[in-house]
Amino acid sequence: MSGNISEIRFDRFLAVPEREITIVRYHDIFQTEAALKHGKFSKEYQDLSAVIVLDPADLKKIDASDGDHVKISSEYGTVVAVAKKSEEKKDVRANEGHSGVGYMPASVWSNILGSKPASAKVSRSQQKISTVGELIRV
Amino acid sequence: MTCTGCALLCEDIDVRDGEVRHACRIGTAHILNRQQIDPMVDQEVVDIDDAIRHAAALLADAERPMFLGFGNSITETQAAGVRLAEKIGAGIDPCSVHTSLIDDIVHSRVRTCTLPEVRDQADVILFWGADPMNTHPRLMSGYAYYPRGKNRQHGWEEDRTAIAIDVRRSHTASICKSVHEIIPGRDVEFIDALMLALRNKVPKTVYDSKRVLKLAGTLKKAEFGVIFAGSGLVGSVPRDAIIRLMDELNEFSDFRILPLFSQYNLRSIATAAACEHSGGCTPTPASLHDADCLLCVGFDLASSLPQACDIDASIIVIDPSETLTAGCADVVIPCAAGGVDLAGTAVRMDGTKIDLPSITKTGQTGAGARISDLSIMNRLLEAV
Repeated sequence: MSGNISEIRFDRFLAVPEREITIVRYHDIFQTEAALKHGKFSKEYQDLSAVIVLDPADLKKIDASDGDHVKISSEYGTVVAVAKKSEEKKDVRANEGHSGVGYMPASVWSNILGSKPASAKVSRSQQKISTVGELIRV
Repeated sequence: MTCTGCALLCEDIDVRDGEVRHACRIGTAHILNRQQIDPMVDQEVVDIDDAIRHAAALLADAERPMFLGFGNSITETQAAGVRLAEKIGAGIDPCSVHTSLIDDIVHSRVRTCTLPEVRDQADVILFWGADPMNTHPRLMSGYAYYPRGKNRQHGWEEDRTAIAIDVRRSHTASICKSVHEIIPGRDVEFIDALMLALRNKVPKTVYDSKRVLKLAGTLKKAEFGVIFAGSGLVGSVPRDAIIRLMDELNEFSDFRILPLFSQYNLRSIATAAACEHSGGCTPTPASLHDADCLLCVGFDLASSLPQACDIDASIIVIDPSETLTAGCADVVIPCAAGGVDLAGTAVRMDGTKIDLPSITKTGQTGAGARISDLSIMNRLLEAV
C-alpha cells in the first residue's frame, strides 16, 4: 500500500451537518452605496451581498465559524455565501437570539432562494462564493 | 437641487466642483454614479440609434408585451410610457410590493398624510417592516423623529414616541423606545393580536400579550399617529389586513399610513396604474411568463427575480446604470438619470409634486451626453 491509512480524512465522506432556516432579507445602506459606486457586478457589491447573518447556535449546529463559506439551498435555487455571526444588540431578537432565522441583504444572492420568507437549508461549504454570472447565467 | 436617490426627494442638495453637500450616503453615490452601460443588441455594443430601432422592432412584433418599472423615471417619461403601452397593448407593472397600498391610498381606503404633517404633528411613529436608517437615511432627521415641528416643539426627547415592528432588530429599531419582533410568516397573527388588544381584550397569541396590550395602549393615546409601511409590512400582509388595522386604529385615535419605498417616482406610476385599473394594479398579461417581450425601464428584473433570465421572452432594458438584467437582455439602451442629468417632475412618497432641475447640466446635447428616457420613449412611440 502506498499511503498511510491514518492520514486519510474519513470525515470528508460524512454528510455535512445542515440546518433548516428561514431567510429574511434586509436593506444595507453600504451595499446600496456599493451598487451605485462600483456596479452590481463589482467585488465590492458582492462582498456586501453574498452574506448570511446566522445565530451563533445555528453556526455551531452546522460546524461553521464566522467567515466560513456556507451553502444555502431552497426549492428555487442554491447559493454559496459568507456566514457572519450575528452581533449582540444588533441582530439579536429580544435578547433571545434568532436561531432558525438567517438574515441576508436584499440582492440576487438572497432573491434566488425565492420569495420571502424563504425556507432553506444551510450547511458549511468548501465551494467558492457564487458569482453574479453563475446566479443569473449571463 | 433635488436628490432622486430615494422617494424622499430631498430638495436642499448642493453640488459644486464634483462635491455633493447635504445628501446622504445613498444620494451622494446616486448623484455621482457613472456606472453607465453601452447600447447593445444581443450583447454586442452598437450605436444607440440601432439599439432603439431594434427595440422598436421587438415591441412592434410582440403579441403580449409588458412594461416593468418606471419608478425611477420622471413623470413625463411615465406618461410617454403609458401612451406607448396603450398603442401596442402592453400591460404596465411598477413591480413594487407597495403598489397595492398606494392604490388603497388613492381610493381613500386608508388615511394618509404628507411628510410636513408628520414633522409638525406626529407624536407616535411606527416603523413597520421598515428600516429607514438604511433605506431613507434623512427621513428621521427631516420629518419623522428628530425635528421640532409646529405642534411638536420638544421633538423626539418628549413629544415623539418611535416604535419599530419588524422581523429583525434593525438599525432604526436601535433608536426606538419600543421594539416588537415579528416571527417570520406570522405577521397577520400580530395584527390580529393588536386589534384584540385595542378592544381591551387579552389576545391569545404566540406574542407576549402584555407587551401587545402595552403597545395598544400607546397607540390609543396617540394624538396623531403615523405608520411608515416598509416592504416588510406590505410584502408580508394581505392588503385587507392593513385596511382593517387602520380602521381599528382610527376608532380610537387619528392614524395615518405612508408607504416607504425606494424608487424616487414610484408614487406617480403606481397612482397612474391605480387610476387605470381601479380594481387594483393587475397588469395585463397578468404574469411575466405570459409575456413575449419585457421592457424594463429603470428596473433591475434579474436582481429581483434571478430566474427571469430563463424566461422565454425578449428583454429590453432602458436604464441610466449598469444592471444585472442588462447582462442577459436582447437590447440595452442607456439613458440620462432623472434629476441628475435630466430635468423633469416627480411625485414624492407622500404624493407631493416636486420639480427636478438637472444637477449636472449636461442636458441632452454634446459629446458623451446621455439621451433621456423620455426621448427614447417618444422615438419608440414614433417607430412602432
